[in-house]
Amino acid sequence: MIKKYQPLWIAALAMIVLPVLLQAIGLTMTSATDVVIYAIAALGLNMLVGYTGLTSFGHGTWFGIGAYAAALSQKYWFPGQIVMPFLFSILVIATLSCVIGLLILRRRGVYFSLLTLALSALTFAIAFRWTNFTGGESGLGGIERTSIGPLNLNDPLAFLIVVSLIALAILYLLLRVVRSPFGHVLVGIRENEQRATFQGYDTDKYKLGVFVLSATVTGLAGALLVFHHRIASAELTSVAFSGELLVMVVIGGMRSFLGPALGALFYILFRELLSMWTDNWLLWFGLAFVGFILFSPTGLVGIWLRIKTYWQPEPEEGAAMSNRKIYDGLPLPGFLRPKASQGTVLEVSAISKKFGGIQAVENAQLTLQAGQIHALIGPNGAGKTTTFNLISGMFTPDSGTVKLNGKEIQGASPHQVCQQGLARSFQITNLFRGLSIYENLRLSLQARHPARFNPWRDIDSYPEVHAETAELMKFLGLEGMEQIEGGALSYGGQRLVDLGIALGSKPQVLLMDEPLAGLAAAERERVSHLVKTIASNIPVLIVEHDIDRVLGFSQQVTVMNQGGVLMSGTPEQARADQRVQEIYTGTGTPPVTGRVAGEATDRPQLLRFEGVNAFYGKSHILNDATLDIREGEIVALLGRNGAGKSTLLKALIGLLKPASGTIEFAGQNIAGMAAPDIARLGIGYVPQGRGLFAGMTVADNLALGRLARPTDGRSGVVWSEEKILHYFPRLKERMQTPADYLSGGEQQMVAVARALSGNVKLLLLDEPFEGLAPTVVQELFTVFDQLRKEVSILIVEHNLDLVLALADRVFALERGAVFHQGPAEPLLTDLPYRKQILWI
Amino acid sequence: MAFVFLLEQVLNGLLVGGYYLLLALGLSLIFSLGGVVNLAHGAFYALGAYLAVELTKHVGFGGAIIISPLIVGLIGVLFERFLLRRLYAADPILSLLLTFGLAMVAEQVIRMIWGSSPLQSSIPAAFRGQFVIGEFLYSRYRVLMLAVVFLALTAIWLLLNKTSFGRVVRAGVQRPDMVAVLGIRLQPYMTSIVVLGVGLAALAGVLFAPISGVHPAMGAEIMTAAFVVVVIGGLGSFWGVVLAAVLVGVVRGITIHFYSPAGEASMYLLMLLVLIFRPRGLLGERIERFE
Repeated sequence: MIKKYQPLWIAALAMIVLPVLLQAIGLTMTSATDVVIYAIAALGLNMLVGYTGLTSFGHGTWFGIGAYAAALSQKYWFPGQIVMPFLFSILVIATLSCVIGLLILRRRGVYFSLLTLALSALTFAIAFRWTNFTGGESGLGGIERTSIGPLNLNDPLAFLIVVSLIALAILYLLLRVVRSPFGHVLVGIRENEQRATFQGYDTDKYKLGVFVLSATVTGLAGALLVFHHRIASAELTSVAFSGELLVMVVIGGMRSFLGPALGALFYILFRELLSMWTDNWLLWFGLAFVGFILFSPTGLVGIWLRIKTYWQPEPEEGAAMSNRKIYDGLPLPGFLRPKASQGTVLEVSAISKKFGGIQAVENAQLTLQAGQIHALIGPNGAGKTTTFNLISGMFTPDSGTVKLNGKEIQGASPHQVCQQGLARSFQITNLFRGLSIYENLRLSLQARHPARFNPWRDIDSYPEVHAETAELMKFLGLEGMEQIEGGALSYGGQRLVDLGIALGSKPQVLLMDEPLAGLAAAERERVSHLVKTIASNIPVLIVEHDIDRVLGFSQQVTVMNQGGVLMSGTPEQARADQRVQEIYTGTGTPPVTGRVAGEATDRPQLLRFEGVNAFYGKSHILNDATLDIREGEIVALLGRNGAGKSTLLKALIGLLKPASGTIEFAGQNIAGMAAPDIARLGIGYVPQGRGLFAGMTVADNLALGRLARPTDGRSGVVWSEEKILHYFPRLKERMQTPADYLSGGEQQMVAVARALSGNVKLLLLDEPFEGLAPTVVQELFTVFDQLRKEVSILIVEHNLDLVLALADRVFALERGAVFHQGPAEPLLTDLPYRKQILWI
Repeated sequence: MAFVFLLEQVLNGLLVGGYYLLLALGLSLIFSLGGVVNLAHGAFYALGAYLAVELTKHVGFGGAIIISPLIVGLIGVLFERFLLRRLYAADPILSLLLTFGLAMVAEQVIRMIWGSSPLQSSIPAAFRGQFVIGEFLYSRYRVLMLAVVFLALTAIWLLLNKTSFGRVVRAGVQRPDMVAVLGIRLQPYMTSIVVLGVGLAALAGVLFAPISGVHPAMGAEIMTAAFVVVVIGGLGSFWGVVLAAVLVGVVRGITIHFYSPAGEASMYLLMLLVLIFRPRGLLGERIERFE
């Protein structure tokens, strides 16, 4: 109890000391009251800024309206009273903020901030100009501070005491809210609103709730200020004042409960003390604020915490990890087991979805039976994740139906889908990075509790939620590391938490998007075991690129290709299916002949890529990757989805800084150089999706390629426009056409031509044949084949028949490391050998 | 008579719109290329006006209109180099807060140097008086302003669409990574855009000083209006901003004619209305990092 309400005791003590202290340094009781009132306003604002992550630049609106509502209602309706105007003002703010909130909460991030800014400017324009009503420039004076019963509020001390008591009551209220299920969801929204909706929270309601609460508390402070200074003025609604409120919050520390109150104290002290010395106290205040933003965005509280950790360092992460206890072979906790069902639990029929001109999913169907693991496989871009997004409510399908236990759910929002019993994990780890693992999972379980919206009861009065969370942690093998932040975990750990969040929604159907991707071998074994245990109770639909493993444990397989379903059946049928094999390993017959590979064996080395490690955040993507390219050689980089192929290209061109290793290009170490400098040395890059500049003509796109790179032939081949048009004659008539109006094949040609514009010695191609018609593929193939005479090429391509026909040598990646290298020839013609090396 | 009235309102609307436009374009450019919402933009506008008042005393209005934006542009270089550059990769909210603080500081610096009361600034002698066409009267200075705004707008359009500088900027807004792998360093372009943006703000300050007055809070006042224009037009859209500026100018002009105190309020209401029906502004596109 004492610990729980610690901020309350601290605040009470501070409010007793405050007037004494301020008077001791020569300030008045009025200043003390100012501090308390501004502290209330700042605390209210912080509910939105610090807790929910919505930065309002317009809380002066509420402060000012609160002030005017109190002043006007006393003037016209409740003369000589103080309680009624005060209550009336609260009512006005609550109602008004509810209406306005519905409008401006439609936007997030910067847009939300700009909208609140404009709101404040609007209220100021009205308050300042509507002279008859608000008193305009000179303000609305003549406010009376009467007595409540025997208490005469005209006495400054009596008024300070009343204000302090109100402040304590507000603090208590806010503390209850912060500690309640409602308050915990707010923090979840701040950390990752999307994930919160997929946990089953209707985040719009929470945001509106906190917006009204925040506005009301700030508005109430405005009403108090009116009685304090006996005047309401338009300045209170201005952008400048709104900003000052925000400054108080930031300087105090928006990530702590009492920080903003400290900021209010800082503000008043600054104002009162500095204004004795200089008229320009705001200058110094502004400078102090800028300093805080640059050097301590967490404010005074942040500085204090830094000093504290300096003296008392927190335990190392490694030490915390060592407490982890893994229990193997635990059964799925009882509360997670849905009641046994029969037959079809999920039925997807004929769903389609188009994004712009691209048909991402076309007429796809699948059915998930009770008690099964159903695998959804297919190459990159087949539409698997989009199908997941359509089922789980992220997008609405253009047509088709999704039935969960016989009930149609297509078009429902993610939180509704989740509450109906369908949960999902994400391909790209999607968790609450700033929250502890425990809280990540607890939020999931809370979402399924009837009290999830309760803003009053303490989080600790739900022992059942805590018990379930503990059990879930134990089941996942995360016990002992409850307090580690989600973002501080290793990639494997994050994958596990992501899965746990989905599982915590107590689903009747579970969708898993690549739960094994990027896991180390031992983790992989353990997680696939977990998946099996889960699936023995909950029907699971799983997307996974580790095909061996997923076919090993699933009962049904649906294979997708190019947005549609290719086949559906048992794993054995899928393995045996000719078409499925073709997608993954090709036919073994080269589609094009006449190439001249294999002549480059004794050419000098152009690129040496040695022991390179690269990370995305915590994910270790390249793991001691090593390869080399000779002059005039085409090298193919093969591997499953997520093996690190694109990342290798990005590390090479400088878009991703390698953590360690050597990249030697033409005798120079380029590892860690900036991308433009690497490009100027003679490396051209064509990314997946081509990366053309839309709205700009072909000529403009090509000109940009030539702008900064040397074109004088000092090194490499000079790629003049004539030379490029010699290879791509089709572009001649297209020079003045905007690049995004071209066909896919032509776009690819422009992308290659642009990458070559300059002195280029090495060309990097990422999936150049993706989504192209066969004739265009043939044309490009021929061009690449001829290009080998002039440049070296490193190509990433999933169509093995094509790429093996083109390449001289092959490097195959798995989990960021090269596991096979050698000539392309044997892989091209010997299909069993190809399968042995590359698949199944 | 009705026609003359309409013409006058439209011209005044265009003028006010052009005034907002000079600020809004810079804001929009800095925002789309750097991801920075520059709340200190109004400070550069105010600085431009103050410098113009000083410079006019020494080199006349003709000199001031050229030198003042140049000086402000130089300050912009420092601003970009030492402050904005730290924020390109950061949360856009941080840049919002930082530039808000800077605006506060700049306003106080102006108060320290030039005092709190408004400065005198008058229309240059050569442009006093009116053009008279039939029963239609229009101030010569306003015609000059319209011409300068039009010239500036055309110059920016040409710069963005017809030069390699503009090509890099437009490409950088879309795909900074692809610009980098073509060997182009974006940093100097970003600096130039900031210089261009704040220079335009200063130009607006010089031009409008004689009409709107020169006082310390002028930057803060124009800022919100300029943002309204950017938000209505859609962040990062050239024609969206132009369209919104004219729209806001005309709506405000007509409102003032019928009920002058509601002039300011009208543009905010217009913004609310636009955002209800087109949440990303008239011609705005979805930009993921600002959502």
